[in-house]
Amino acid sequence: MAIRGGGLSRKSKASSEIPSSSLADIAFLLLIFFMVSTVFRSDKQRPIDWPEAAAAEKIDEKVKNILNIWVEQDGSIWINDQNIPMDEVSQIVGPLYADSDRRLVISIRADQDTPYTFIDAVQKELVSANVVRVVFATELERQMTRVRR
Amino acid sequence: MAVLDQKKSKVSDEIPTASMADIAFLLLIFFLVTTVFPKDKGLGVVLPEEGEEVAVAQGNILHLIVQQNGVVDVRRGESTAIQQMRPGDIESLWRQEVASNPNLIAAVKTHPDAPHRHMIDVLDALQSAGAERISLQILEE
Repeated sequence: MAIRGGGLSRKSKASSEIPSSSLADIAFLLLIFFMVSTVFRSDKQRPIDWPEAAAAEKIDEKVKNILNIWVEQDGSIWINDQNIPMDEVSQIVGPLYADSDRRLVISIRADQDTPYTFIDAVQKELVSANVVRVVFATELERQMTRVRR
Repeated sequence: MAVLDQKKSKVSDEIPTASMADIAFLLLIFFLVTTVFPKDKGLGVVLPEEGEEVAVAQGNILHLIVQQNGVVDVRRGESTAIQQMRPGDIESLWRQEVASNPNLIAAVKTHPDAPHRHMIDVLDALQSAGAERISLQILEE
């Protein structure tokens, strides 16, 4: 039995193209997977009344290098959702500061009615942790409602 | 005329959905590009390093004593004369003072019981006036 054409012209039944019709499905699956699994690292907001300042500037540092220290009106300190006694602040901040390659910026988020003695205590703790860059977090004063003095 | 009844309309009665994905992607890209995450704002200060205390001539210090009620006592260097001010007036005061003495340092001393916002008001006024050499202290009785 002679094979027609010597068998050379027989076409393969398998397609020579990569099936691409399900590519979009795969892309969407990946998109949804990363959307669901991504967690933005941030601590919870504490209920404080923000002080206002007109000269406030945006903090020029990556979000991961900003550490928030919340100071409530009664002087309680919250760092990364934990209540920290005042005299342990430097022990908490010191290692974080060293880990960040001395880039860490401390954002002091204090209630506007916090007595200054607590703010001063926090600053002294930061100095003993050798932290240099500190920002007093404020809300930008609204120009319209600004009291003309 | 039964033929007329059977004639099908040439206009499709479905909404064309082929370009829906394109619209969705356009919207997605538009929001990806325009979204801005809010950045924290605040008044930056640089704390001194431990043990880095420098003696400054009294003549180069402008004492700003923040009282409990928000009134600021201004005292220049060694003089004992005290001028009472509101935080809002400090901006123009600083501009005048620093023009006559460029080495001036603002020493903000805050009463321990004074609310944080009064100190922020003074710091705000100083930074609005372009002050760079600011020392934050607590008022010792």
